[in-house]
Amino acid sequence: MGRLVTQPLVWFVIISLSIFGLDNLIPEGRDEIFVSAAQKDRIALLWKTQTGKDASIQELDSLVKNWIEEEVLFRQALRLGLDQDDSIVRRRLVQKLGFIAEAQMGPEPEYAELESYYSQNILDYTLPLRYSFRQLYFLDQATANAQVSQAKLGNNISSSGTTSMLNDSYAFRSELDIDATFGSGFSLKLNGLPVGEWQGPIESSFGYHLIYLTSIHAEEAAPLKSVLDSVGSDYQQFQKLNARQRYVDALLDDYLIRYEEL
Amino acid sequence: MTRFLSLILIVSISASCSDNTSDPLVQQSTELALKATDTAAETPAARTAGYNEERNAYFGDLHVHTMYSFDAFIFGTTSSPSDAYTFAKGGKITHPAGFDMQLDVPLDFYGVTDHAFYLGVLREMANPLSEISKHEVAAGMSTLGGAIQRGEKFNEILAFLRSPRANEVNDPVIGKSAWQDIIATANRHNDPGNFTTFIGYEYTATYSDGGNLHRNVIYRDDVAPELPFSRLDSANPEDLWDWMDANRERGFESLAIPHNSNGSNGSMFMMTDFSGNPLDGAYADQRMRNEPLVEITQVKGTSDTHPALSPNDEWADFEIMPFQVASFRSSQPNGSYVREAYLNGLKNEEENGANPYKFGIIGSSDTHNATYAGDEDDYWSKVGLRDSDGVRRGSVPLREPRAPGENYAETYFNTWSASGLAGVWAEENTRASIFDSFRRKETFGTSGTRMRVRFFAGYDLPLIDDNDLITKAYENGVAMGSDLLASAGKEPEFIAWVSRDPNSAALQRLQIIKGWMEDGEAMEEVYDVACSDGGSVDPITHRCPDNGAQVNLDDCSITRGLGAAELRANWKDPDYDVSQNAFYYVRAMENPTCRWSTWDAIRAGVEPRPDMAATLQERAWSSPIWITPVR
Repeated sequence: MGRLVTQPLVWFVIISLSIFGLDNLIPEGRDEIFVSAAQKDRIALLWKTQTGKDASIQELDSLVKNWIEEEVLFRQALRLGLDQDDSIVRRRLVQKLGFIAEAQMGPEPEYAELESYYSQNILDYTLPLRYSFRQLYFLDQATANAQVSQAKLGNNISSSGTTSMLNDSYAFRSELDIDATFGSGFSLKLNGLPVGEWQGPIESSFGYHLIYLTSIHAEEAAPLKSVLDSVGSDYQQFQKLNARQRYVDALLDDYLIRYEEL
Repeated sequence: MTRFLSLILIVSISASCSDNTSDPLVQQSTELALKATDTAAETPAARTAGYNEERNAYFGDLHVHTMYSFDAFIFGTTSSPSDAYTFAKGGKITHPAGFDMQLDVPLDFYGVTDHAFYLGVLREMANPLSEISKHEVAAGMSTLGGAIQRGEKFNEILAFLRSPRANEVNDPVIGKSAWQDIIATANRHNDPGNFTTFIGYEYTATYSDGGNLHRNVIYRDDVAPELPFSRLDSANPEDLWDWMDANRERGFESLAIPHNSNGSNGSMFMMTDFSGNPLDGAYADQRMRNEPLVEITQVKGTSDTHPALSPNDEWADFEIMPFQVASFRSSQPNGSYVREAYLNGLKNEEENGANPYKFGIIGSSDTHNATYAGDEDDYWSKVGLRDSDGVRRGSVPLREPRAPGENYAETYFNTWSASGLAGVWAEENTRASIFDSFRRKETFGTSGTRMRVRFFAGYDLPLIDDNDLITKAYENGVAMGSDLLASAGKEPEFIAWVSRDPNSAALQRLQIIKGWMEDGEAMEEVYDVACSDGGSVDPITHRCPDNGAQVNLDDCSITRGLGAAELRANWKDPDYDVSQNAFYYVRAMENPTCRWSTWDAIRAGVEPRPDMAATLQERAWSSPIWITPVR
């Protein structure tokens, strides 16, 4: 007998019997289970998404029967309190409500809201120092030197240089972009060059470059209009993170939290 | 507060509806919530500032694991998808071993691709309050310690995954919430014109004997199906393609990119389908519709070709990873390498009328640290605490030998590479434009450096120094990834062109690799087409002279003044035959530099490990151009 008591199956049988016994003691009338047309459609649709086929009449009948059995078991499980102290049920419910809370982000944000979010987070929307320039590429320094001298004499040199995969001109390139294209440290050599004249040659790992700065764009905040989309999505993310917390805080207002004195 | 009251009202009404277990109102609001996060990033209709009709080269990594991958989490990775994108954009994040990781040059695009099965589950197992932490296989997850223990836990989970009980811990609730975070995070970090993200995941199936059939599934848009299709749904990639086809109908456009064919033991590029039937037209159509690209190189080695398959290719012995994935079992070369698959594709076309292996090429890293790891001199490998330093990855001797003469850790990490970048030619840095280039196969792969490779074929191509070269090449020819029909009485012309990575070594040689069918036999030939340092190609051997570039193994310095910034050629195939079914692809080679293992050794003050290559030649591979005879 001692060994029998330690068998999980024996315990299962005892517990089951007592649940069913308990159940039989509960007086009950006959509850209604109403299978609505909408419910039937949902069952049919679920079948279709799972199997890719429409359910036949027989299949649908059997699916509905299954659903009714499941419904009876579900109601009985609730009645017996089997949802209590079940961490999976608890987590699922909490997660569902969490999703709903996060969806409660209110109406589309007003422009003024975005404006204030934008200015509070202006560093996220600040564009770095950028250069726009033309570029001529030479394999040897002497030719590059000769061409820059020609330019200083007022001659047009824009058709000189060797063709390469490098572009003839670049617009609005940050120092990081320029170093990615011409090699680390190249952007430093643009620092302080005058705008509007051919300069160089500047050495890179490709060879020698003459550079004609067309403009220098100082670090500046991107106008709100040009980054409205990303401000909108950042703000949405910010609100989403906040929505759940605000929801929890609002619910907490309705509770008095007491701690057991130790 | 009224908002919350109404919400509570909804919930209480729905709770009292007793005719339905899956509450329609709650369900609906949940879907709304998910939808709202999905549509965070909209593609602007207008062109971005960098738009270029001649197309720009963009570099990225489409194979990145984060804390949501079962193995990455065991390896100590706590970096999230958001951390991964922050890193790719140039930000600094921390390796589980405590050091900072940051790119010298940010990437243009990035796709987080966590393992679909057990998505987020191992992380949840480490939470002692969770239900799943009570499962027997979760034992010890919250207190994982050193590299060895993590390696053992990884093998234990792998064994469980391969057991009939695998499904016990594949919790779809945990998976869904991780997947929603992956989708929402990708959309939040997508920045058209500057930085592109792709929603994706890894389908991690294995063939019966353990042969690797892994693929990454990459989505074009800002939406994806409710849950990814995983190995627990089916180990047969053909079922994955059915699922992708069905989802394409529903508006979820995607493609799958196989990887580590080298470790597949011949199962990645088989000559039969999964059930052993010949590869017919329907198979080829479905495979190419869903898998236009293959990852040719990554941290776990390069899959271009193998010395046993290409005995006449002097550069075939490059970053060969000889094992089946995550094991010490050897992987057979046949059926495991890209070049042979191209040849077998032609062969199948002759025998069964269809070519199922007409794919383009990319590289990627397969990092499990959330961080691309392709720099030889700044290498952190890819499995967290297991290979975070030279001793652990076998490049630096152990303090005490394991046994007499066994001076290095017993590991396969020493066969791994600092490798894997995807290059694309696209008009602009947006999801639509880059995804189109994947579909066109106008892509190339590199072993980690940022060489840019162009490749065209046609019958009236411009000369290589033409100022309008690219415009004319697009007008009169086809680009990499395309087909060119053979034409009686005409010989195809090729343009091959490579530009160096300004932050790596100069270029040594430019090659065109040809494969073709001759009397039912698969043939291949490597042609040098442009040489650096004034060299010219020997017409008999098709080889450039050695340019003499050397590496000093004391400090990894390289010979100065050698190598080219660019190499280019107008080329015609000297052995062209109009009746041949053939493919051609470019391989561009840098001067030699130190391999990561040599950098490890120098920094540790020891000799480089004698049985590992001390140097390597970083290289790029273009997608092929196929020349098809008129039949």
